[in-house]
Amino acid sequence: MLTLFFDFARRFARNRAALVGLFLVLVVVGVAIAAPWWFPRNPLRIVGRPEIWPFMSPRYPLGTDSLGRDIAAMIAHGARTTLLIGLCASLTATIIGITVGATAAYVGGWVDELLMRLTELFQTIPNLIFVLTIVSILGQKIEYVTIAVGVVTWTPIARLTRAEFMSLRDREFVQACRAMGMGSLWIMFGEILPNALPPVIVLSSLVVAGAVLFESAVAFLGLGDPNVTSWGQLIGDGRTLIRSSWYICAVPGLAIMLTVLALNLVGDGLNDALNPKLRDR
Amino acid sequence: MRRIIIRRLVQIIPLIFAVIVMNFVLIHLAPGSLFDVMTSEQQITDPKMLDQLRHTYGVDQPVSVQLAKYIWSVMRLDLGYSYRQNAPVFDVIMQQLPATLILMLAAIGIALLVGVTAGVLASIKVNTIWDNLISLGAVFFFAAPSFWLGIMMTVMFAVKLGWFPVGGMRTIGVDESAFGAVLDVMHHLVLPATALGLFYAATFARVMRASMLEVARLDFVRTARAKGLSGGRVVLAHVMRNAMLPIVTLLGLQLGTMLGGSVVIEAVFSWPGIGSLLFDSVMSRNFPMVLGVLVLGSLLVAVCNATVDLLYLRLDPRIKAR
Repeated sequence: MLTLFFDFARRFARNRAALVGLFLVLVVVGVAIAAPWWFPRNPLRIVGRPEIWPFMSPRYPLGTDSLGRDIAAMIAHGARTTLLIGLCASLTATIIGITVGATAAYVGGWVDELLMRLTELFQTIPNLIFVLTIVSILGQKIEYVTIAVGVVTWTPIARLTRAEFMSLRDREFVQACRAMGMGSLWIMFGEILPNALPPVIVLSSLVVAGAVLFESAVAFLGLGDPNVTSWGQLIGDGRTLIRSSWYICAVPGLAIMLTVLALNLVGDGLNDALNPKLRDR
Repeated sequence: MRRIIIRRLVQIIPLIFAVIVMNFVLIHLAPGSLFDVMTSEQQITDPKMLDQLRHTYGVDQPVSVQLAKYIWSVMRLDLGYSYRQNAPVFDVIMQQLPATLILMLAAIGIALLVGVTAGVLASIKVNTIWDNLISLGAVFFFAAPSFWLGIMMTVMFAVKLGWFPVGGMRTIGVDESAFGAVLDVMHHLVLPATALGLFYAATFARVMRASMLEVARLDFVRTARAKGLSGGRVVLAHVMRNAMLPIVTLLGLQLGTMLGGSVVIEAVFSWPGIGSLLFDSVMSRNFPMVLGVLVLGSLLVAVCNATVDLLYLRLDPRIKAR
């Protein structure tokens, strides 16, 4: 097991960009974990004079926004929201995607047809419009945003899982399991799934990046949870002041961009490490 | 050919049907029904009046009947009445749709132009500084939120340099000739279309590069070179044409995302399309409008997807129409 891990780490480390990405992700995770100790007070609290530019005041290194809230504190607490929504939405999407894809491929027949039609349906619906509809109908809560993002991003995972299951379901080891009298569910999730998982993990890690972008767009439009700090929301609030203080938009935008960039690079690195066959293409 | 077109269009019907049913379920999931929102906004409290309104809007009937009625009315393109705009939902959406279509087409154009050019350049100069620069740019634009890019471009090109207008679609109060109006719209279009298109340009550049390198290794390219065609002609007429196929697929897959992305961009640049309409309707809990946009948006994407599939048939004769 340990050698397997070292092998994986070595292949991952061969991709320099992925290492940079991993470093950035760890920094964001670190900031998110440290936020309550670093900025123990409520980040949405007004602390000083409004519109202090970054690097001008030692107390507010990233400046203050239009209301005089500390941007650094909001960025740190926003990292928690961003990562939490990104991870949970990706998890939701992965669970839905694997269930749908695995069932479609393993059961086959009309179930397959029906589930693939369903996947097509969710691919056709313009995804951000769907997220906004769900949030507007169910309410502006962080849970609903997470679920909505998960519900619009599961389709590629379902397709990939289905394709993987298709190629695995008639292999000898599966036939052996059937001959031993194992239940279908156990074969699907206990035997086939572990073999199909590596490419699915890669895709899920990329879905995290997509989910972060979705969340920021929803929050930017002012439809996120108003009681939770979020990077997108900060950009949305700062938008009215772009003539005088454009840094209020620039700083959280850079944070989003670097996080998404890092997540994408890690995804590429995982791809190299988990699918060594594909790398040399 | 006509049979294929009709068959492909018929496939859309169950899809739209499912969207309608889902819409209906969503309305009924909502805490506080549409009816409550409407009556509270009009401040109707008289119980008799409420009963009468319930009857007029059919809210007093069983759910199955309501569903059947809803499907039947959407089939006739009756998406309900927007009490805010005081006009049928369908008419309001149709009025705003052209602006969104212009924005999307312009964004697709920019994405294709920039993405394909960058991808081809990177593949010709593979593993040089150009290739690395293009890849780096693609990675950055792939990660930047489009609305943020839009705002930053506004700061740079509209506020600081003053080259382009900050938002809107037409200059207010200027009465121009038709040609002048087109130029005016194009002038307003540059920033939003670029902000929306650059993300897709980044995807296209990456896919185009990979696909060019893949195709360049095939036998027919060697044949083309062997028969003495110039390098440029081989790349443009033989490699590029075949390498474009994945781009077409990708374009079809991303139309839905693009329509969603235009919602945000329209909000940034106050572009008067269905995105702004959706945003306003979501904010004012105008559900018939929100659901109308969802249905028509899905229909638009479904039709575009079918068009892309048919385009594919024309582009690649190897794909036999079955």
